[in-house]
Amino acid sequence: MKKKILFLLFLCLPLFLSGCWSKRELNELAITVAIGIDKVDDQYEVSVQIVDPGEVSARNPSANRTSVNVYHAKGKSIFEAIRRMTTVTPRKLYFAHIQILILGEDLAKEGISDALELFVRDHEIRNDFYIIVSEETTAKEILEIITPLEKIPANKMFNSLDVSESTWATTSTVQLDELANQLSKKEKNTILSAITIKGDPKQGIEQSNVQKIDAPAKLQYSGLAVFKQDKLVGSLSEDESKGYNFLKNKVKSTVEIISCPNGGQLTTELFSAKTKVKGKIKNGSPSIDVSVTVNQNVGVVECNIDLTKKETIDLINKETSESIKEKIHQTLEILQKDYKADVLEFGEAIHRTDHKEWNKIKNDWVQLFPELKINVSVDVKTRGLGTMQNSIIHNSKE
Amino acid sequence: MSFFRKSISNSPEPKDSSTTTETLYLHTELLENIKKIKEATGNSNDVVIREMQIGKSEKLLIAIIYTDGLADKTVITDFIMKSLELDIDISSDSISKKVSQSLKDYCLTVGDAKDITDFKTLYSAILNGESVILVDGHSVGISASTKHAKDRAVTEPTTESVIRGPREAFTETLRTNTALIRRKIKDPNLWIVSRIVGRVTQTDIAIMYISGIANDKIVEEVLSRVDRIDIDGILESGYIEEFIQDNSFTLFPTIYSTERPDVIAAELLEGRVAIFVDGTPIVLIVPALFTTFIQSAEDHYQRADVSSLIRILRYVGISIALLGPSLYISITTFHQEMLPTPMLISIASQREGVPFPAFVEALGMELAFEILREAGLRMPRTIGPAVSIVGTLVIGQAAVEAGIVSAAMVIVVSITAICSFLFPSYALSNAIRILRFPLMILAGMFGLFGVVIGMIALTLHLCSLRSFGVPYMSPLAPFIPSDQKDTILRFPRWAQLTRPRLINKKNATSGTFHKNTKKRK
Repeated sequence: MKKKILFLLFLCLPLFLSGCWSKRELNELAITVAIGIDKVDDQYEVSVQIVDPGEVSARNPSANRTSVNVYHAKGKSIFEAIRRMTTVTPRKLYFAHIQILILGEDLAKEGISDALELFVRDHEIRNDFYIIVSEETTAKEILEIITPLEKIPANKMFNSLDVSESTWATTSTVQLDELANQLSKKEKNTILSAITIKGDPKQGIEQSNVQKIDAPAKLQYSGLAVFKQDKLVGSLSEDESKGYNFLKNKVKSTVEIISCPNGGQLTTELFSAKTKVKGKIKNGSPSIDVSVTVNQNVGVVECNIDLTKKETIDLINKETSESIKEKIHQTLEILQKDYKADVLEFGEAIHRTDHKEWNKIKNDWVQLFPELKINVSVDVKTRGLGTMQNSIIHNSKE
Repeated sequence: MSFFRKSISNSPEPKDSSTTTETLYLHTELLENIKKIKEATGNSNDVVIREMQIGKSEKLLIAIIYTDGLADKTVITDFIMKSLELDIDISSDSISKKVSQSLKDYCLTVGDAKDITDFKTLYSAILNGESVILVDGHSVGISASTKHAKDRAVTEPTTESVIRGPREAFTETLRTNTALIRRKIKDPNLWIVSRIVGRVTQTDIAIMYISGIANDKIVEEVLSRVDRIDIDGILESGYIEEFIQDNSFTLFPTIYSTERPDVIAAELLEGRVAIFVDGTPIVLIVPALFTTFIQSAEDHYQRADVSSLIRILRYVGISIALLGPSLYISITTFHQEMLPTPMLISIASQREGVPFPAFVEALGMELAFEILREAGLRMPRTIGPAVSIVGTLVIGQAAVEAGIVSAAMVIVVSITAICSFLFPSYALSNAIRILRFPLMILAGMFGLFGVVIGMIALTLHLCSLRSFGVPYMSPLAPFIPSDQKDTILRFPRWAQLTRPRLINKKNATSGTFHKNTKKRK
């Protein structure tokens, strides 16, 4: 019995040989919050934004030191570049807390799949960060801008994207798994939000950028970028981006402006929108039915109308519906005619309804899509008028 | 009966007479007896031997022997000496022959009087505070109960305080303690079995249970285990506990101890067995389950919903006290991806410049706290504030400001420390506090995997324990649905009509005790 126990104890000993195998103390890590990838003459240039925790924390930050640092390295592959970066970074880079991945415009034009392979494969990287693309600038420059209020620029980018998607609906958050899923399809079409520097990039990298009330350089989301066959082909304007989000059932809340019959305008606040896409094939020709159901409140009244009347509300509903429809058509127009990219996954919708017919036409889908007939119907319901009925300002004249 | 595991394997041979090898009977010569007593007690001056002559016409030589301090002198003078001197008339033959009987019958005005024939009982009577009367020419003495120990009054419990509930605690006197229970349970079925344990100390032990509710097998087991104890001295119930517990090699207490009579009464009513030891206010109760140690007396006096919530809070507290530092270590050194980014940055900023790994930091802080705690417990009460000031300043502030430990670690350690004081039972909190350290080592070496392995091992160990044959983790493992009413939640009293199943198997319904006993008769 005793021998057995002793033997078991000996068996346990090798456990301790491993020691503290993968131990990483917090102060040995360089917490990476953002990665930017650019392509510079056949090489990847990787920029990482790492946090200086001591500067971010509320307790006694020393003046004149930035709260994040950016390091760059070039390499034939991204992995090589990251490893090469260890020659300049003070600590081991830690990628689990990436907030945002910025793909440079040049890289995006050449194709993004290869650049993303590492992020999908590596185990340390979580897939809950957002992927965006830089517009008219490089990812490196974006990462170097010092942002006001948020000490960590990556947080600013993350939060702005989140908030603008849910309240303004011109941007779209895309996470790694979603993107990888779309890039694994045959068409490799996708949409990413585009970020740009508003103002002078040279001033943006100075500490003085945050010493002014109106920062000279700011990071701004400019809309959506369209990828076809893995490559950046163009961008959508604000209205088109909103139209795209309507089509993708991604609108949570936004505002619409309609004009009143007697001049002036009226702003409504959409608080829920639901889009149903149904595909069908009749006599070999495919078509799509899009029906949008919107609930809204009256936001701002800048004209003389009587909101207490049912006819007025009907009018508002009709006008809003027209306005949304117009945006959607605008989006469809540019996607079908200009980019010829089915980023809306209408092919899938048809596949779902009639897979036999779809198999017949799927090889011609690229040619069929630009000519696809799409019926859009928008149903708007006005639910509330805010805290008052008729506008005091505009009705007081009478 | 493999259900009851015998843990005391090397049971000693049945006890024979302790110090004297063979029974010595009293002599008929009084002076001879007195000489013997003086020899045996080494002329100790607190053993008083008062010789006197009684009888109106015929004088009879007697001796009253008692221990000064244990016996009540006023009782001796008023009810023994006076009555002996006044009343007796030994002239008649019939009386002089059976003098001891007549003394008992006519003279002694004390409650309890017994015959004594041998020296062993004589010594034990004297040393228990009784007075012994020896009569010249008779080999039979009389012991009269004159016990008067210096008692401490029944005071408020110091270790288990409640806001609502009785304010009395046990004292050092066995009789007071049993009386406190009798006062609560006025039923003839409340039985007390007495034992004397300790070759030298001859300590009184009372085993109390309610006949008809308590499981006979458990009562037998308790008695047999107590009978097997062979030791020189019993000074506290802890001595007994160590001898009769099922498993010595565990940190977890398998015998519940309390100084509250109301707790004992409640447990007796559930069918448990209480063990009283003279000289200590701590009373043992068996069988004790893991869940018993997390329940406070007050749980049963407060509203059911309130006490259920408080109990849940205690379970949360146990988890924190056990796992707090180890989870912190493993997450901050192995699994940083589990933390939300702002929290990671905040903790990382606190750790900037801390020279030690998180594990060493935690170990040092925990050690410092344990040292402070122990010091606070042992030192004279008057210098208590000094130690607590030094402790707060050194641990709380200076260490953080000097950058030796991070502020987050101080928070973790102090939360853990406070949580370890959450349990009503000190014995369990000791176990949890000690187990924290191996878990911290596992966390420091293997991260969460280590913690999980440690917890699996701990669960296995807990499930393997038994307290007097009852699985320690019941009614959780084995899971007994009907006993969940008073485990993690406390159901309202009207929903608690059945007694714990494994502890008592006879009268399942607690409202119908007497109905059942009548039926059986």
